[in-house]
Amino acid sequence: MSEHDEDLIATKVWDTAVVRRLLVYARPHKKQFYGSFLVLVIVFALQLLSPWLLRGAIDGPVAAARDASVTMGDAFDSSPYLRTLALWAAAYFGAVLLAAVFRYLEVSQLARTGQSVIHDLRTTVFGHIHRMDLAWFDRTPTGSLVTRVTTDIENLNELFTSGLIVLLFDLIKIAVVIGLLFWVDADLALLVVALTPILIGVSLIFRGGARRAHRRVRAVLARTNGYLQEVLSGVRVVQVFRREERVSATFAGHLAEYLSANFRTIFLFALFYPILAFVTVGIQGSVLWRGGASIHAGTMTVGEFILFWFWLQLLVGPIRELGERYNVLQSAFASAERIFHVLDTEPDVRRPASPVRNDAPMKGHVRFEHVEFAYGNGPKVIEDVSFEIPPGHTVAVVGATGAGKSTLVNLLLRYYDPTGGRVTVDGVDLRDIEMQPYRDQLGIVLQEDFLFSGSVRDNLELGRSSVNEETIALALETSSAIDVIERLPDGLDSQVAERGATLSTGERELISIARALASNPALVIFDEATSSVDSATESKIEAATHRLLRGRSALVVAHRLSTVRRADTILVMHKGRLRESGTHEELLAQGGVYARLYALQFRDEDDESRAG
Amino acid sequence: MRLLWGFFLRFLRHRRRLFAGILAIPAVALCDIQLTILIGDTLTKLREGDDTQFLAGVFGLMLLLSATQGFFRFLQRWWIVGVSRRVEVELKQELFDKLARLPLSFHARSRSGDIVTRLTSDVENVRMLLGPGSMYVLGALFLLPASLFVLFSISAEITLYMTIPLVLVAFAMKALTPRLHRASVAVQESLGDISHRAQESFAGIRVVRGYGLARHERDGFRVVSSENRTHQIRMASARGLMHAFVNLAYDLAFLPILFVGGWAMIDRTIEVGDLFKFIDLGFKVFWPVIALGWIAGMYPRAVVSAERIDQLLHEDLEIADPVDPVPLEVRGAFSLRDVSYTYPDAPRPAVSGVSVELPANTTLGVVGPTGSGKSTLLNLLGRLYDAEGEIRLDRVALRSLSLETLRGALAYVPQDSFLFSDTYRNNIAFGATDDIDDAEIERCIERAAMTDDVSRFPDGLDQMIGERGVTLSGGQRQRSCIARALAKDPRVLILDDALSAVDTETEARLLDGLRRAGGERTVVIAAHRLGSVRTAENIVVLSAGRVEAQGTHEELLERSDWYRETWSRQQMEEELEEL
Repeated sequence: MSEHDEDLIATKVWDTAVVRRLLVYARPHKKQFYGSFLVLVIVFALQLLSPWLLRGAIDGPVAAARDASVTMGDAFDSSPYLRTLALWAAAYFGAVLLAAVFRYLEVSQLARTGQSVIHDLRTTVFGHIHRMDLAWFDRTPTGSLVTRVTTDIENLNELFTSGLIVLLFDLIKIAVVIGLLFWVDADLALLVVALTPILIGVSLIFRGGARRAHRRVRAVLARTNGYLQEVLSGVRVVQVFRREERVSATFAGHLAEYLSANFRTIFLFALFYPILAFVTVGIQGSVLWRGGASIHAGTMTVGEFILFWFWLQLLVGPIRELGERYNVLQSAFASAERIFHVLDTEPDVRRPASPVRNDAPMKGHVRFEHVEFAYGNGPKVIEDVSFEIPPGHTVAVVGATGAGKSTLVNLLLRYYDPTGGRVTVDGVDLRDIEMQPYRDQLGIVLQEDFLFSGSVRDNLELGRSSVNEETIALALETSSAIDVIERLPDGLDSQVAERGATLSTGERELISIARALASNPALVIFDEATSSVDSATESKIEAATHRLLRGRSALVVAHRLSTVRRADTILVMHKGRLRESGTHEELLAQGGVYARLYALQFRDEDDESRAG
Repeated sequence: MRLLWGFFLRFLRHRRRLFAGILAIPAVALCDIQLTILIGDTLTKLREGDDTQFLAGVFGLMLLLSATQGFFRFLQRWWIVGVSRRVEVELKQELFDKLARLPLSFHARSRSGDIVTRLTSDVENVRMLLGPGSMYVLGALFLLPASLFVLFSISAEITLYMTIPLVLVAFAMKALTPRLHRASVAVQESLGDISHRAQESFAGIRVVRGYGLARHERDGFRVVSSENRTHQIRMASARGLMHAFVNLAYDLAFLPILFVGGWAMIDRTIEVGDLFKFIDLGFKVFWPVIALGWIAGMYPRAVVSAERIDQLLHEDLEIADPVDPVPLEVRGAFSLRDVSYTYPDAPRPAVSGVSVELPANTTLGVVGPTGSGKSTLLNLLGRLYDAEGEIRLDRVALRSLSLETLRGALAYVPQDSFLFSDTYRNNIAFGATDDIDDAEIERCIERAAMTDDVSRFPDGLDQMIGERGVTLSGGQRQRSCIARALAKDPRVLILDDALSAVDTETEARLLDGLRRAGGERTVVIAAHRLGSVRTAENIVVLSAGRVEAQGTHEELLERSDWYRETWSRQQMEEELEEL
């Protein structure tokens, strides 16, 4: 954990605003919450009942029998007293069985309640993240997004179950037990009330120290594990440079720090329990001292004393747990803050307030009109770009890295909204179109196209209703990706490892093309990959690309000569501006940049392809 | 069991602390029992006695006993848990040392997440069982017989009845533990699913957005999330049963005290103080005994963890120094004859039947499509993997050289431009001799065309890089890796596609600098961009692990279709860059 993450741990113990917001999520499960509370009340009542029954037996039949045996001597008959005693025992037995049932309900009901809220919240956060802008994804690491729907949510679960409900209840318990102690014996209760602050003090002081110590252990451990991971990923470098011993020594340094951080927590815990026990024994000793005198004086029965003694133990438990509850609350509040921070961030790219309805199938007539774009407050990435893709035409974009080619793709996909000008499809501004139906009609092939884990079939379907067995089979055939599928052990049902690791780069591009083909899209958006693949796969990709583009509107960021040559219009981008545009022949005739390029590099190849 | 014993022997390395801690255990138990006896006897005495003067003494004695107990408890914890932490750290260090030396074939087939788990959770599982676990076991093993002895001497009958629920709870725990374990495994797995699903969905956001899959993703996530909810509730229900049974047993242990004890009191065979002893010791003994059950539950997991750790500790160091290494003053001539390598579990060889001659002080280019075996071939030169066939350095087989001789002579610039999160100086000096000075480091930085970049670092050479410092661009990282390699002043320099993020102009300058700087040094360059190897004396074109063609740039333009096509495509791209 870096220093930066440390700052993220909130220092607040209680945040009413956060609690109020959380309660909004709890409201649909109100009944569950009341149920949980009721179960807790019953368990607590039964807990209080057991010592009371013990007292009843001791002060009732037992004491009476003993008195009677003293006065009656040999004539004493114990059987009626034993019968009463048996009744007390039966009552105790019943209470205990009932307690077992409610103890089971306590644990399962609390979990049920917490999990219901957690499930709602988790899916809400996940859904919200998916509404966020691409720009937001660009600057937020994926790992921390995952943390929002995993660890942070888990922490909130703690808040609901062992945090809020139980903490509230612990406080009630403390109050009730103190009240009961006064009811048994006010004198002794006063003594206890006078001494408990020491117990609370010890618990709270320890809590602070333990939290700091634990935080240090966690930080050092994270550093140690981070270094381990770093060395694992750089083990090649370590070995080639023969630095095994040096990294071992560095690791030893981290471990030494880890050990000393741990010794601090061991010390604290080793000290805490004995001190707590000592204070408790001190309180018990005082109670025995004063209570013993009362018993002797006859103002208190032994049964009452034992009752007092056991109820006193019910007081120590919650007080000892206070510190722990505090820590749970604190980390839960930090998580809640992070989650709400995500929920409070609204995307800039929004659904149109009143979308233009258009039930006709998309023609794929794209227009960029004086489009301008900048990321955030950064410099303009593209400026005053205007062009048109008539239905069925392919437009290929060429240009240097950073010339703005991908930006055109991002805008047409509405990953971002232009900062100036507008993009229209079939005459309607993209900002006024409902995105889901629009995107359903697109065919997309992106660089480094991500393949989801699951089967190859899942990846081809991607949950689109327009795609079925037949269209997939046809798409595979047309794109000759079928060869790739046939090589796989289980064909379409083969599992794709994460990031499609079992497939080569070229094979992945082929499958992506097949995926785009499968929905028979009206508009294709294609960002060609730059990595080099072997000649056989390369020619398959070229052929498949050609089949995908034929007869459809398409915007292609082109790297392949064959794609560029076949395009209806070629756009030459330079530093965010459109420098030249036209067909291959027109551009050649124009004698500009494109012509110069072509003359330099392609003539040989072109001759060859014409000959072949 | 034998395995765990082996790990326990590691604890014995600290036997003085360990035994001191163990000796404290009976003292703790005795004080605990003594406290109960003292209070019980006091209650009895109150009934019979005539004055209450002695109560002040009892109070003092209670405090004294508690203080003594606390003192020993502190020592017990401090020493035993402390030793377990020491053993943990030693074990981690040993594992780390092993990992740093294990061959790349091992690292290639293991996932780093799995290895980290072995060094973290697995070590912790074993530590918990052998350290704190055995501490609680020993504590219970002293407390239980001693308490039973005391209670037995008061009333054998009540003691016997009291143990019945204990036996029952043992059975209940035994029956419930597998269920709880299964449920918690299911919870862990479903949490893994949630995190996996989220990771994939967020990382693939462009496809999700592009294909309008947000709803599909939300539905999928809802499914895994509700599965998790189901498993969580199932686990809670198993935990609830356990909780109910354990507490029921505890409560039931008091039933004989209430009834049989009450009876005995009516019969005047025991006193109220004795009854108190039953209640109080029952309380004190019960929870340590329950803890035994929990520890028994930890046992199977600890055994599995111990196996996983042991496996790593005994992993074979396949690539090691020969028994009798050939001494060699390396000049830098490589000769490869029919060299092949297949990754473990891979269906096809990554490199197959490669034969190449590389005279000292010449440059060899290695090119070919992605996945054609370029990196593998380069790794074989430094014996990061052991190749089939024959690789010789200055006519000596690689296996006959010590790793020090072989790797000492070469420097390597990795494809992933790996740098440590450390100061810039330490990164550059990483492979150099210890006496390298700043002047030399600056020279290497200059040759790697990094001087301007470094001068912009706020802390200069002391600049931390990586997560907790400045983030370097891809090109800066690559140039820094070159500077690091140069700082070693190697006889053989190996560049694995190390210039891909550097612009063409800088690349030309760098390559020129590299050749001149060393004056005489063997260079091997694997490259994606053919321009990088254009001037090499010899270029190998790999295709699916085999040599498709070799020769100079001009020769390959004639001989290799792939080379010619790629060359013209890349020329176009470069022209576009220069627009």
